[in-house]
Amino acid sequence: MIAGMSGPAAMTALAAVVLSVATVAGLPAPLQAVAGLAILIVLPGFALVRLMPGTDPALRALLVPALGLAAVTAVSTVMFYLTIWSWQGSVVTMGVLTVLACVAHAWQEDVPARKESS
Amino acid sequence: MTSTLVRTNHTEKHMRSRDAWLALAGVVSMVLCVGAATTVVLPVNSDLGLAAVLPYPYWLGVLLLNVTFVVALRGDSSGPAGRPVMMWLLAVQVLVLFGAAAFVTDVPRGEVAFRHLGIADALADTRVVDPGIDAYFNWPSFFALLATVFRATGLDPIAVALWAPVFNVGLWLLAVALLMRYLTRDERRRWLVLWIFCLGNWQDQDYLSPQAFGFFLYLVVLVLLLGPLAAKSPRLRGLRPSAILAWWHARRPADPRAGLRVAALAVVVLLVAVTSASHQLSPFMLLTAITALTLTGRVWPGRLPLIAAIVLVLWLVYPASTYLLGHPPMEDAGLSGAVEANVAERVSGTPGHVFVVQVRVLLTVLLWALAGLGALRDWRRKRLDIRVAVLAGSPLVLFPAQMYGGEMLIRVSLFALPFIALLASSFLLPRQRSTRPTFRRSGAIVLTFLVLAAMTVTGRFGNARYDIFSDDEMAAVAFAEDMAPPGAAILAAAHPTPWRSDAYLEHPYRAIEDLCHQDLAAATCGPTFYGYARHNPDGAVVVLLRSAEASLVLQGDSTADNLEEMETWLRAQDGVRLELSNAEARVYRVTP
Repeated sequence: MIAGMSGPAAMTALAAVVLSVATVAGLPAPLQAVAGLAILIVLPGFALVRLMPGTDPALRALLVPALGLAAVTAVSTVMFYLTIWSWQGSVVTMGVLTVLACVAHAWQEDVPARKESS
Repeated sequence: MTSTLVRTNHTEKHMRSRDAWLALAGVVSMVLCVGAATTVVLPVNSDLGLAAVLPYPYWLGVLLLNVTFVVALRGDSSGPAGRPVMMWLLAVQVLVLFGAAAFVTDVPRGEVAFRHLGIADALADTRVVDPGIDAYFNWPSFFALLATVFRATGLDPIAVALWAPVFNVGLWLLAVALLMRYLTRDERRRWLVLWIFCLGNWQDQDYLSPQAFGFFLYLVVLVLLLGPLAAKSPRLRGLRPSAILAWWHARRPADPRAGLRVAALAVVVLLVAVTSASHQLSPFMLLTAITALTLTGRVWPGRLPLIAAIVLVLWLVYPASTYLLGHPPMEDAGLSGAVEANVAERVSGTPGHVFVVQVRVLLTVLLWALAGLGALRDWRRKRLDIRVAVLAGSPLVLFPAQMYGGEMLIRVSLFALPFIALLASSFLLPRQRSTRPTFRRSGAIVLTFLVLAAMTVTGRFGNARYDIFSDDEMAAVAFAEDMAPPGAAILAAAHPTPWRSDAYLEHPYRAIEDLCHQDLAAATCGPTFYGYARHNPDGAVVVLLRSAEASLVLQGDSTADNLEEMETWLRAQDGVRLELSNAEARVYRVTP
């Protein structure tokens, strides 16, 4: 359990941190590609889709690549227009986005419990 | 009870064995097609393109694959074969149809993918978006994505471009599969639509490009509109304003979960924004589809068209304003101009090339005719889904609005394809839904598939004589780009030329056919492009490739004799020196 997160959310957040660091630090050729694609597209897509309540597995399977690609495109575009783009910066930003989505998901899951206790 | 269990076990065993045989047939098809494609010798020397030089085992593989699919689709009384088998056959189809060229050569086809790699590279190097460079830098998001992915992953851009069609079609199919889930409950129909979508996909828009990305996002938005954001509307009672208003207010969300709807709306807005920032045309297609679905009462958030329009207009008037100042929208609008640019101007060239273009047109007409018959059948049986009709027809609205370099009809047919395939499936399958097709009908489906497959391979790879490049040609382009000092112009005879992937901003790149405004007579064009090269302060490099020459000859823009005369004339001019010559290319240096 990390910061109130449980199960897949915690794993996703942890993977995002580890893979961000590993990708920026550099890995041998095939691993760099796998880690890079995971941190730029798969993990952010997965974390963002989990914020959509009640999506069925098939829709989720489509939205993971769609949201991952859209998110990294949006982040890279904004960084280019702000003239602060670097691939390392993009990787870190996508890592942060993934962790934030996981935190938001944990908060989302907590809402019913908080409502009940109040 | 024991006998029922035994019977069930027996049926399951039979189904497992049937599915295993079907999967094996898929493997054999793949081996035949891939094996045959790898034996093609480059360059392709037929005006009919790759279809004419693919050895017969490829076609045998295509035949086997389509027969296997129809057997799998027929399945048994409970439905088609198992999902893993259907998915496997579809994967083989994608590999065989969209990966064929990648088994022939390890160089991506066409010029544009190289240009796109160059733009991504230039963005990553300069780290700034300068909209004054060209139109691409007014819609730079897809290239920003490429820049980030290539630099962070270390993937080989050429390999990515080579396999992009397989990857893109895979993504499209995933989205189309989800779409079909919302449009039909008939499992056979869903699989059939995916198959027809592949067989009708001759448009060749799946290469590494913003439009391929835009089309994927378009399909995902439609999935969300027909799924979580769908609306149920009552029957419209008359066209009086009060009746329309009552009908509009009586709409209800199809999905009761408000949280999911809000999240889906947020995703749609994000995807519209990313599409608007990535490609000129796709957001207009998206806006048209969103508006059409909303106006027919099938989308719950009534203001979504307005939101999408605002996002699109904001992009146009701010980041893309530089381009729009010189190219006002609708400047070349008009139906007759669109027909001229999209059809008439394309049907020219050698008999072989004209045949290929006619096959493309015929394939589109054939699919639309099947869809028309399917729509008629559905309408007669009072089961025509208005959403399908609207989505099949909405891309047509944009046809007369923009010529889009004569490619508008190609784009329209692609954006309509999933829904055209769905309507066509209504005609191909039995009238009674979820019924197993008879042997006779299955035979007719196989025959239709074989015709479509032959036409798609012919249409899709019909330009192989000039859009598949040899190693000698690639070596010549690399040599020219290395040799040219910064600022020197690089000239090639025509498009496509596999250039600009490395030094997009370092040189002015010009095609001689553009400099001479398509008037390629040696006597007039020679002095024009030589003068341009000579007057460039940093000089120029002229690359003459076999493929570019074939492009001019095939499309009827020049003749081999005329091009030879022009080269002879060039060689005789002052300051022109031959720097490289191989079997497929020559490179000349022109000193200022």
